[in-house]
Amino acid sequence: MILALETSCDDTCAAVVTRAGEIRANVISSQGVHDRYGGVVPEIASRHHLELVNTVVDDALARAGASLDDVELVAVTQGPGLVGALLVGVATAKGLAAARRLPLAPVDHLQGHVAATYLEPEPMEPPFLCLLASGGHTLLARVTEPGAYEVLGRTLDDAAGEAFDKGARLLGLPYPGGPALSKLAEAGDASAFDFPTAARVTGLDFSFAGLKTALLYAVRDLGEEETRRRAADLAASYEHAIVEGLILRVERALVAEPGARLALGGGVAANARLRERAAGLGVELKVPPSELCTDNAAMIASAARWVEPLPFPDYLGLDAYATRRAA
Amino acid sequence: MILLGLDTATTATVAGVLRADGSVVEVRDDPEPGVRPGHANRLLASAEEALERAGVGWEEVERLAVGVGPGSFTGLRIGIATARALAQARALPLVGVSSLEALARGAGEPPLVLAVLDARRGEAFAAAWRGGAPVLAAAALPPEALAERVRALPAPPLAVGDGAVRFRGPLEAAGALVPPDQDGVHRLRAEHVCRLGAAGKPTDRDALLPDYLREPDAVPRPR
Ligand SMILES: [Zn+2]
Repeated sequence: MILALETSCDDTCAAVVTRAGEIRANVISSQGVHDRYGGVVPEIASRHHLELVNTVVDDALARAGASLDDVELVAVTQGPGLVGALLVGVATAKGLAAARRLPLAPVDHLQGHVAATYLEPEPMEPPFLCLLASGGHTLLARVTEPGAYEVLGRTLDDAAGEAFDKGARLLGLPYPGGPALSKLAEAGDASAFDFPTAARVTGLDFSFAGLKTALLYAVRDLGEEETRRRAADLAASYEHAIVEGLILRVERALVAEPGARLALGGGVAANARLRERAAGLGVELKVPPSELCTDNAAMIASAARWVEPLPFPDYLGLDAYATRRAA
Repeated sequence: MILLGLDTATTATVAGVLRADGSVVEVRDDPEPGVRPGHANRLLASAEEALERAGVGWEEVERLAVGVGPGSFTGLRIGIATARALAQARALPLVGVSSLEALARGAGEPPLVLAVLDARRGEAFAAAWRGGAPVLAAAALPPEALAERVRALPAPPLAVGDGAVRFRGPLEAAGALVPPDQDGVHRLRAEHVCRLGAAGKPTDRDALLPDYLREPDAVPRPR
């Protein structure tokens, strides 16, 4: 069995997954403490990871009905992410592996999101297009084999989840803003405001900075009272623009690759409107359950199945990395 | 008792093994000035190397000790996360050790010893002991406040550590004795982490956390 750890942002995660991709335990400890800061504070995230990491591992093993004796491979997110946060997971994984002379698989976080698609039940196997959208990343990739992906387009500025959070803040909603904004949008008219989808950005790259600015101007022009009165319409129109901005790039990619299948991943893939729009594209679609779309360690274990594991002692010097190295 | 000790509170990466005969084997990495500490790359490799040189296998290790700082936040977390994971993997008892006290122990037995670490941002982490008993509790202090504390001590202390070197001026002006910059006494040694660890009481694994002494730089957003 594979024991995996993921600590790249503010969730402390451990999972136990079989070589065949069957999830035995997937524990996610959300820190929740960042809400009052209006965003993730790296130092606070790192402190909480250290407090939680060993119990989360114990918990995952217990829920899997397993012990460390059953673990054949330790996997860990090496990056990209918050380095201080990643280092807690990497140091822990290295210590667990070394003291038991187990091999260790360092996993790329984004490869992990892609690999959520391969988990049982109902895995989707390559080739497919993968739209990853979360608070930290937004990209469209072509996946031709399980262990690799090719980036077709990425965001030029904000990530889609970040756009949700920033929009929510402008509308006075609490952090994390995505779910709150979507909830508010349910009662609104998505065509009330014409927000930009960065359609003029050609190719498959995304951009959400203009959208954020457009909402800022709309809020300023409406004034405080009118903004409050029309908050649902603003939220619905804003969400609509984010979703259309994402779907537009998928549609462009599908023109170039007719008949391609599509998988969604990342926290924004939990968004109901995005799921609806993707389902309406007329292509075979795979959306993992929400708990496998947001950051989790099961996806890291899944990806580890296609990583050449480092035998002891080759990983003793393994370090984390903040940004993706040249592929 | 056979014990593996680790410390990452300073820029050095320190690992050591206390053997059954009471001797300590140390493996350390002291980066050149201006070079990034090697905690992430060096700690676990140093621990394995110390075990190997000491001729000790994992199944013989009876206890783990780790420096809890104060020191660099990231460094401390690497040390403590590593120690906790090793304890978890081998089901071993775990002891947290004050890194300042380990540093002070390396100064021999002067009447009064002041351990000072460079806390960056122009501050020092400092604590003092007289005959093993604390006379100044660990605190993060700017140089003026540190000098004031030194003057208030019952006798002029011997000041050791990278912070003693860094703040030599104000410390000497306040009456402290600071050995030459290159003196090995300024380096935290595995031996003292191991001996303090052997003498200390094991703590609950999940309660073992860094002695940060400082709050994170984060201000809640007004609502
Ligand atoms: Zn992610």
